[in-house]
Amino acid sequence: MRSASGVASLAGAAVIWVALLGPVITLLAHLSWPQVSAALSVPGALDPLVVSVESGAITLGVLLVLGTPLAWTLARGSLPFPRFWEAGVLCSLLLPPLVIGLLLIFMVGPYTPIGELLGHVHLSATNTFLALVIAEVYESAPYYVLGAQAAFAAVEPAIEEQAALLGDRPSRVARRVTLPLAAPGLAMALAVAWARAMGAFGAVVIIAYHPFGIPLQIWTTLQETGLPTALPFALVLLVVALPLPLAAYIWSARARGRRRG
Amino acid sequence: MASATERGRRPGRLPVLAIVCAGLVAAGCSSSSSGGSSASSSSSPSGTAVKGTASVAYASSLTFLNEKVAAPAFTKATGYKYTGRGDSSGALEADIASKEITPNVFEAVGGDNITPLQPKFTKWYIPYAGTQMVVAYNPKSKYASDFKAYADGSKPLKGLFTLMETPGFKLGRTDPNIDPQGRDFIYMLELAQMYYHLPKDTVSKILGTTDTGTSNSSQIFAESSLDATLQSGQLDASSAFITQAVELHLPYIKLPAAINLGDASLASQYAKATVTIKPPGAPKTTKSGSPQVIDITIIGKPTPAGIAFVKYTLSPAGLAQYKQGGFTLITPTVTGDSSAVPSAVKSELGG
Repeated sequence: MRSASGVASLAGAAVIWVALLGPVITLLAHLSWPQVSAALSVPGALDPLVVSVESGAITLGVLLVLGTPLAWTLARGSLPFPRFWEAGVLCSLLLPPLVIGLLLIFMVGPYTPIGELLGHVHLSATNTFLALVIAEVYESAPYYVLGAQAAFAAVEPAIEEQAALLGDRPSRVARRVTLPLAAPGLAMALAVAWARAMGAFGAVVIIAYHPFGIPLQIWTTLQETGLPTALPFALVLLVVALPLPLAAYIWSARARGRRRG
Repeated sequence: MASATERGRRPGRLPVLAIVCAGLVAAGCSSSSSGGSSASSSSSPSGTAVKGTASVAYASSLTFLNEKVAAPAFTKATGYKYTGRGDSSGALEADIASKEITPNVFEAVGGDNITPLQPKFTKWYIPYAGTQMVVAYNPKSKYASDFKAYADGSKPLKGLFTLMETPGFKLGRTDPNIDPQGRDFIYMLELAQMYYHLPKDTVSKILGTTDTGTSNSSQIFAESSLDATLQSGQLDASSAFITQAVELHLPYIKLPAAINLGDASLASQYAKATVTIKPPGAPKTTKSGSPQVIDITIIGKPTPAGIAFVKYTLSPAGLAQYKQGGFTLITPTVTGDSSAVPSAVKSELGG
């Protein structure tokens, strides 16, 4: 039999969980299958889904390649003035995505040095797929870097040191010790970044109006035809974006459980 | 050894906390780019307690005028509070129709955004001011000297449309599928092609596509980012209503009445321009040009504050604000069922 405090904790957790889930419950309550079917059967209705998945996957690749080394060096405190570096990551996290989008215009617009450089190779970072990836990277990178930093920081340096004492080179220590031990946390960080990339809107609407991903599809549909036709796309976003974080969460929890056991 | 372990663990707490906090921040901020809303309050003008709030949904081209000029003056003059919400007229119409928003007053660009709400939400509207299309430009663009020449009339305006066809010319406009201004710009180009006897492919060359109603174009920006992109120097020129250009201090080129959609007497001429749009989740629709007139109506059961706002807007003081903001004034007359218009509003029409 549960103690009173146990029941109170359970009730408290349930209240918060239901409150967090409120918008999703509301979404499901307001959707009917004929509505969903009608909205999604329009020719080209699912094109934004493909755009979102493709851009999200490329964003994750960019984060893995560029964000992981930064997260590792932050976790190991191997950079001079570590708080300064961390503050830099936090700054990009705290700026509203809309403001990031506005500032990106000044950074990568067609008449900036970067924009002109891209123009020479017939690329543009405004209203293109590249612009969408850039916006998603900016909106999701801090989440990945800080999450990955926490994952690396949770790996006991003593274990790495022991591996090194046994003669392993740093690259082998990273491959055989650090990465496997940090993997559950890295997976979670990647999952959070994926969710942010898939739902990215603020910076996207400013520099990447075209091609439409799912969030912009929801917004433009809402603008033109109203709520009933826009909401089915929110369901699509959930259905497509949720499996990866969910799988990462389950795998991460199991991996931690095995380690404890 | 222990210290090494602690060193390794310590940074982990900050990131986790930061992620949680920042998630909440992002949730609050990431959806703030569309539309806008505000509220104002003040004491009663004459010392008498007046209760009530005028909730106004307005076309986003009226944002500056409503929020910075009309609302404070209205509250000061009447004692009623004011809340405003700006968005594209079509979006507001959809929001009102779906009861997502329930304003007292609706100010739309074009009566065709009000008629779908009749008779359920309103039976009338009153046109009272007009705006017109201009071409706003970047004063630091490599074409700036040409733009200035077109603006001051030292070069014939016909050349502007040839200039906009230039490969590499960076033009910005809004989505014709969801924004009236996006459609108006295309109507203006079509009218210019007819008016100046330009080659038949002029419009498609300027827009970069023969599918003029498409939203699939690198020229298309969200309304909220178009002006910012032009102001940051990343475009050569963009579509604009004259009121926007005046409010944002953007240099602009005025266009003749035959193509600028600003003259109510040229309605039949403007209607010759058409664009076929395909809004997301809706069938194809062909729309035609019309004068850019601002219309006002009361949504639902008239409230004292809502009536007071419409009355104030149509008063000499209210109309003067529009004139100062670059609008042309139209003698307010009722379109629709005039018996449904509150008498206090009618008194401003002289009837």
